[in-house]
Amino acid sequence: MGLVLAVAAAVACLGGAFWWHARKEVLRLRGRLELASRELQNLQLAFSRFAPDEVIERVIAEGLSDRGEKKEATVLFADLVGFTELAERVEPTVLVRILNGYFERMSDAIAEHRGHVSTFVGDGILAFFGVHAPNPWQVDDAVRAALAMRASLADYNRTLAAEGLPELGVGIGLHRGSGVAGLVGSADLKQFAFVGPTVNLAARVQDLTRTLGTGILLTESLRERLDPRVVLKPLPATPVKGVAEPLVLYAVEETSAP
Amino acid sequence: MSTRELAMRDLEWEACLIEPRPDRALERRIRRESGFVGSTVAYFGSPEWVASAVARFNHDLRHRVKMSQRLANLVGLAVSQDNSCRYCYAVHRAMMRGVGYPNRDIARLEQLLHTGDLEPKERAALDFTRRLSRSNPLVGPSDLRALRGAGFDPSAVAELVSHVGLFVFFNRLSTLLALPPQRVEMLAHHPLAVLAQPVIGPWMRRLIGSAEPMTLREEQKRGPFAAVVLAFDGLPMAISLQAAMRDAFASAVVPARTKALMFAIVARALGCTHSEQEALRLAAAEGVAEEEASFVVAHLSSPSLSPLEALVFPFARDTVRYGQPAPIQRRTREVADALTREELVEVVAVISLANLVCRMGAVIGGC
Repeated sequence: MGLVLAVAAAVACLGGAFWWHARKEVLRLRGRLELASRELQNLQLAFSRFAPDEVIERVIAEGLSDRGEKKEATVLFADLVGFTELAERVEPTVLVRILNGYFERMSDAIAEHRGHVSTFVGDGILAFFGVHAPNPWQVDDAVRAALAMRASLADYNRTLAAEGLPELGVGIGLHRGSGVAGLVGSADLKQFAFVGPTVNLAARVQDLTRTLGTGILLTESLRERLDPRVVLKPLPATPVKGVAEPLVLYAVEETSAP
Repeated sequence: MSTRELAMRDLEWEACLIEPRPDRALERRIRRESGFVGSTVAYFGSPEWVASAVARFNHDLRHRVKMSQRLANLVGLAVSQDNSCRYCYAVHRAMMRGVGYPNRDIARLEQLLHTGDLEPKERAALDFTRRLSRSNPLVGPSDLRALRGAGFDPSAVAELVSHVGLFVFFNRLSTLLALPPQRVEMLAHHPLAVLAQPVIGPWMRRLIGSAEPMTLREEQKRGPFAAVVLAFDGLPMAISLQAAMRDAFASAVVPARTKALMFAIVARALGCTHSEQEALRLAAAEGVAEEEASFVVAHLSSPSLSPLEALVFPFARDTVRYGQPAPIQRRTREVADALTREELVEVVAVISLANLVCRMGAVIGGC
């Protein structure tokens, strides 16, 4: 009887010890999982400064996949006018401050109109409308963003003038069309991009703002979908590198629409 | 407190846009009809149809025909989390605590949502849930096929869609008006609430249960978006939806043409042509010329709009996909400043309904 009790006690002790150990292990693992989960969330938050949420979620779900999606999007290319002269006139620190102020304001104007800045190329800005989520109003949004950028730059110029700094100008080119959205780049450096002839053409349209002496230029692909209350000035058909037919372009003057 | 719960509590959340106004007569009526008066009724008493719709939809969320309680909880947490609805998340969590779920079980469900370590059928349901809630892009036949392939029959699919839709509705209603989550969040961990659980638990469990399939009567098969309502015939939610749509369009606080065009804009934002056509048909019935309606939906404005319409049409579009709650709440406040309380509640409720109906419309095809 005593032996049975002793064995039962030993079994109970062993069972208890096993249970205690297992519970401790479960709690430890749960704690690690909680910590990992929190770290992942913090990482997601940190990454949201570099890429839109949709892209981060996709990377988490699929890894750095080669999946591309065909999209219809509006591309905005903006380039700072007179940057070379500016770079020669001011100290590097002042130049960086001016540039950052410019990028901040332009990015705000784009984001307020539901656009996404893809990249800053030197003093240029490449932004997309309708790439991350379907946007049936992408053309109106992009043109309003361009007008807001113009207004915001005028405001910034007043600040710069008050500091005795030179004024800035911007040339903006807009084009709408199809392209492929996905993660592109090398094994070491990747970014979410919208690629295709639409982007190249928007860049060329932006180049033409200088030769045609106008601030905002858009192509026929936008005009046909644009709110007719935006005042456009048709320009003579202009030959563009890489495009067979001369391109019909419009200068954006103003809008009576809200 | 779980990581997910902490993350939800960290979400920036604006001050509530409206004050609660308790209406005892309305509360009595709702208690009589649905057996339970939620705290939100005090916010939605006027126009009255909003409080009634909230009560009916609330009842439908708590009474399901086929869906398991576990899946219903997973869907509720997933959609509220996806829409960053701190209020709905807290309410859902508090409800689960109230009926007797220990905090660790809720935390376990939250963890499963995060890791995706679920049974294949549940995982398929949650993938679909998120796709429908986000609608980026809208769900299509392949999503439905995947769900059926995972073992959901058509009536289970319909119930899942309606359940997700109801959360889409409540998330918007609560987030846009910034209903205060703090008290509900505190409740789940308050020592008194924990002590009172054995008493309130059985009462709260009585509020949750199964529902019998219900068929629409002939007169309920007509009305705004009848095709969507009919597609869910058999679920009690179809009856609630039909009543909500009927009452929303009958209310005189905001003109019916404005509501129809808000529906059309939400449908356009989602890419649901079927719902857009139905909304444009409703607008035409209210005397909106086809050309005018097309212009409004294409550009979200028109010189012929009333000041209220010029304000709410671009806002309707912003409610379809938003990231964090605070920016959309600030946007709602801009709109609210120009509206009466009744107009604000009706506009937000109609927009929330539109988000629900147009997502459900996508499932019945034609989008």
